[in-house]
Amino acid sequence: MAKTTEVSDKIIQALADYLKRDAASIHTTHHLREDLGLDSMAVIEMLYRIEEVFNLQIPDQDLVGLTTVGQVIAYVQGRVAPPPASAKKPTAKRSTKGKKA
Amino acid sequence: MPTRVVITGLGVVSPIGIGVPQFWKAALEGRSGISAITSFDPFPLEGYRSRVAGRILEFSPNQYLPAGQGDRVDRYAQFALVAAKEALADAEFRMEREEPHRVGVIVGAGMGGMVMGEREITQLYEHKRPHRVHPNFIPVITLNSASGIVAMAYGAKGPNLTISTACSSSAHALGQAMNYIRAGTADAVIVVGADASITPLVFAGFCSLRALSTKYNDAPERASRPFDRGRDGFVMGEGAGALILESLAHAKKRKARMYAEVAGYAATSEAYHMVIPREDGVEVATTMRMALKDAGIPPAQVDYINAHATSTTVGDAVEVKAIRLLFKSRADKIAVSATKSLVGHTLGAAGSLAGIVSALTLDSGQIHPTLNLDDPDPACALAGLSTHTQTRKAKVALVNAFGFGSNNAAVVLKKITT
Repeated sequence: MAKTTEVSDKIIQALADYLKRDAASIHTTHHLREDLGLDSMAVIEMLYRIEEVFNLQIPDQDLVGLTTVGQVIAYVQGRVAPPPASAKKPTAKRSTKGKKA
Repeated sequence: MPTRVVITGLGVVSPIGIGVPQFWKAALEGRSGISAITSFDPFPLEGYRSRVAGRILEFSPNQYLPAGQGDRVDRYAQFALVAAKEALADAEFRMEREEPHRVGVIVGAGMGGMVMGEREITQLYEHKRPHRVHPNFIPVITLNSASGIVAMAYGAKGPNLTISTACSSSAHALGQAMNYIRAGTADAVIVVGADASITPLVFAGFCSLRALSTKYNDAPERASRPFDRGRDGFVMGEGAGALILESLAHAKKRKARMYAEVAGYAATSEAYHMVIPREDGVEVATTMRMALKDAGIPPAQVDYINAHATSTTVGDAVEVKAIRLLFKSRADKIAVSATKSLVGHTLGAAGSLAGIVSALTLDSGQIHPTLNLDDPDPACALAGLSTHTQTRKAKVALVNAFGFGSNNAAVVLKKITT
């Protein structure tokens, strides 16, 4: 079972690799868009890397709850080590996607 | 005054019908062409987040084309051939009576020959036998294979072009064809939009881009829902649309039936982002304004908009914002419909199908319903949207088409007055 710190370290490292910046400069409170400058496409690319690292498929509906680094870590932790049945699952509200297409 | 350009023939290959009468009847009845994808054999279906599409089931080119004509081209070019054949017959266009160098072909295609493309790439990488790559691979995947084969089928020796601007491809094909005729370079142009890329790789790519609807895999007909609060991405479709454009003088000389006039066109780039539209809608509004200016028609005269409306959360809201920016309080007086609610997003074919629908709307006075608008999103509220067929004697129609690569197009059609 993956520990929180292990998940956290891997995600922050994946983000650091993607953003080409020092992992120490990325904090769990950082907003993916406002603080790290990721647009919706960049979030999708970043999650694509995280899916590979943790062998996950993240449904589109779950993207809406993933706006900060901490939320991504909590979400992945929940997926790799499912919480007790009473715990609240990530919310599946409206999709954030809005491609031009 | 520039040379006036008119539409004299139409052809359609779509998930709701092959042939314009079948397509238009189904459109006015509000029939959905979206169905479940039951197999991407040999790939596991659970690997695809989206499992719905607007596919043309049981299409056999030989049923529609002379023997052998479609054998050496990919599915999208077969669609193009079938649509072009119908449009030429509909226009009663006889190539033997034309100066062949003054008849052009302009095709809009976003993806091209992906059926054979994917097969050959897979086989090469799997079996590692380069000498077994099919000799027809290059001609098939070259993006102008459809414009080439359509010209060859009819001996059209004028300008032969392919425009690939993703989802706006064939709206540009329409506009550029109008410009060729206006400039006097061609008497007539066969305009086609075509795509057929509901293939394992391309479909997976759109899934990974998280651009497709995933919430309605168990209710395919509900998946394409432009402007509805429950929309969650577009539904891939496939098909082709063909339009015969010619100068008004040429059409009159032939005593051709005319559906509509192509009166204006604008092409712009948002120069912003590969896949995300500018959320303020300013560039889309500018594109529509420029097309109307090109047509010499004030915005106040627009009666109908065939919206790009792909059923994505942001895209639909941006388009409505742009419509409100340009038309202001009149926005709610304009009838609007979203053809993608019926057939899904046919990518390179979308602009041509929108042009065909707009021409039929101007010609018949009937506006097809927008499906699945069960709970209109307040961010997309337009009074002119309806889940029912509307009757309106529309005189001016606007076709919107936007594509990846920050690309926008708008085409203005006008009811025939001669």
